[in-house]
Amino acid sequence: MHFIPLLLYGCAAAAYVAHFARRDRTTARTATGLLGTAILAHTFLIGMQTVQAGHAPLVGTTAAVSAFVWLLAISYLYVELTTDERAMGVLVTALLTVLFLIPAFDPAVSPRPAVLQSPLFTLHVLTVLFAYASFALAFVIGVTYVLLFKEIKAKHLGYFYARLPSLQVLDGMNGRVVTVGWIFLTLGIAVGGIWVMQVQSSPDPRVQEMSIQDPKILVALVSWGVYSFALVARRAIGWTGRRAAWLSALAFVIVLLNFVPVGYFLTKSHNF
Amino acid sequence: MSRLYAVGLSHRTAPVELRECVDFTRGGTVEALTALAARGVSREFVVLSTCNRAEIYAVAGPDGPDTIARFFADYHQLPLARLAEHLYVRQGADAARHLFRVAAGLDSLVVGEPQILGQVKAAYAVASDGGFTSAMTNRLFHSAFGVGKRVRRETGLSEGAVSVSYAAMALARKIFGDLRGLNVLILGAGGMAKLTGMHLRGQHVQQISIVSRTLRTAETLAAQLGAVAVPWSELGAALGAADIVVTATGATDPILTRGAIQDVMRPRRHRPLFIIDIAVPRDVEAAVGDLDQVFLYNIDDLQGIVKENLARRSGELERAEAIVEEEAQKFMAWLTSRDVIPTIVALRERFEAIRQSELARLEPKMSGLPPQARERLDEITQLLVQKLLLTPTEQLKALRDESSGAAYTDALNQLFRLGSDEAPQAPRRRSKVSPLRRE
Repeated sequence: MHFIPLLLYGCAAAAYVAHFARRDRTTARTATGLLGTAILAHTFLIGMQTVQAGHAPLVGTTAAVSAFVWLLAISYLYVELTTDERAMGVLVTALLTVLFLIPAFDPAVSPRPAVLQSPLFTLHVLTVLFAYASFALAFVIGVTYVLLFKEIKAKHLGYFYARLPSLQVLDGMNGRVVTVGWIFLTLGIAVGGIWVMQVQSSPDPRVQEMSIQDPKILVALVSWGVYSFALVARRAIGWTGRRAAWLSALAFVIVLLNFVPVGYFLTKSHNF
Repeated sequence: MSRLYAVGLSHRTAPVELRECVDFTRGGTVEALTALAARGVSREFVVLSTCNRAEIYAVAGPDGPDTIARFFADYHQLPLARLAEHLYVRQGADAARHLFRVAAGLDSLVVGEPQILGQVKAAYAVASDGGFTSAMTNRLFHSAFGVGKRVRRETGLSEGAVSVSYAAMALARKIFGDLRGLNVLILGAGGMAKLTGMHLRGQHVQQISIVSRTLRTAETLAAQLGAVAVPWSELGAALGAADIVVTATGATDPILTRGAIQDVMRPRRHRPLFIIDIAVPRDVEAAVGDLDQVFLYNIDDLQGIVKENLARRSGELERAEAIVEEEAQKFMAWLTSRDVIPTIVALRERFEAIRQSELARLEPKMSGLPPQARERLDEITQLLVQKLLLTPTEQLKALRDESSGAAYTDALNQLFRLGSDEAPQAPRRRSKVSPLRRE
């Protein structure tokens, strides 16, 4: 069941690569169509899991990765359809495929402990994951920016020059996407804090671990700090262009490390 | 029989002095089309006239090319002898292939230049609006537009700028996205500065400022370009406000040093700065290009890009030619099937006439038969004729090249004496039967 979306995400990634190389309309439509189909298959899967478990599959890192992939795919498709720029699709679909390997090979839905039944928990997970999806887009846009920047600086206009939108457009997109992600991350952290205060009396040992010393929470706050700096630096000291691109790429690496390795192996508070 | 002809001259066959004289657009293309129509040479034709070519595409009889060549000379009041050696004539498949190559930019002076497709479209639109086109030219030109689009979409033939100024503008667009709203600063007020300014004005940038050592010369050029003259002492402020800087002074030492540009980058908050140094010797220190958010290109860099683009284009030639050939084959298949249809119709009518006359001849003998048996006989003979003609019809329609189509048509015409008095109804019904004629 999980292999159908995996296969479709993989095919979409291949189609985006083919489109990047050939740039014809047919391949472009095929790529977008495959990604759309993958999202539909993924949506169906999440729907089935919700019906089976009786709650949205958001408990545990594996489920969160799946939901993140789903949100990123939808966000990217939205950006693609509104800007008609497909160049970033190569990196995005590659990321989707790689990350979806986790739920594809570990498809079991974790049962939901009593402490997570609050709607605040669902809101917390969804806002944070949407923020991560935005940061993933900012990462891809940043990498794209750096590739094009290097080509123009090196004065050998070749592969990327012909295929990517202008530096200014990429920089503008980066700024907007980081802003959206920052708003959602702020909201997600705040909602998480309120939720912890509500369930403080719970006997669940993980709730007792909810403090700034927990690696997951600490690194999340660090990444919030980095994105806050990126936003302030862009407006106050003109950290746009290449610096902003590098910063958003670096910050997403922190986010990704926090999301997968820290989520699986290090945290004591978020291991549901 | 009418055929497709292309008669004309281009930069490949005629020197520029002659091409200047042969220009159908000067007196108006419609007038040229009307004058050609008055010669009665053909009912379908299109005149394509650009600064690098003058061509007439026509569907005409065997004397078509000569009449059109004479029209070329008469219309431009040139002696035919002077024109004749520069004119080329293509017919049938070659004419179609020629137009396809033209539309794809393969026959252009700068291979792959994109304007020609628009010019072909415009030429067709004028002819079509004036009622000078019909089934064959309509199909021909629409196929040509398709070829042009395919070549542009599927090959890199039109990619990359092939002149220094286009390369610079393309770079500016890749950095800033849109040139409108940008401030341009030109250093120098000489001939190169003026040329650059005129080119940039055509790009609708927001403002052009000109700085020169002597304010007077800057003011003179600024007045010509609708730009702003800035005194030399305010160069720093002008650099801070600019997005694109073009340097074209006659100075022997660099004017813009790394330190000077570094100083302006901080107050401009690292907004990208694109510096184009077209001066020889250079006006800008090479180290300026190492600064973050500064893109420095000198004339050699731009020429290098042009050279790379030209090399890349020539690598795409083969693919473009293959597309032209493929589409030319398709067009010829259509043309051939269209040519044989009257013959097929005439053949069917001839067979039907024979059937009818035989039935009429046998009428006295069959008068004793019951009506059902006579109906059956009619049916059987009809089926027989249909069966006999099925394979030849299919074979004729499947012919792919014009010459064999013509050979088979001739043979059939002779063998069955088609078109003679014995089949008088054939020509009248042709246009009704052929669905392609109505296009």
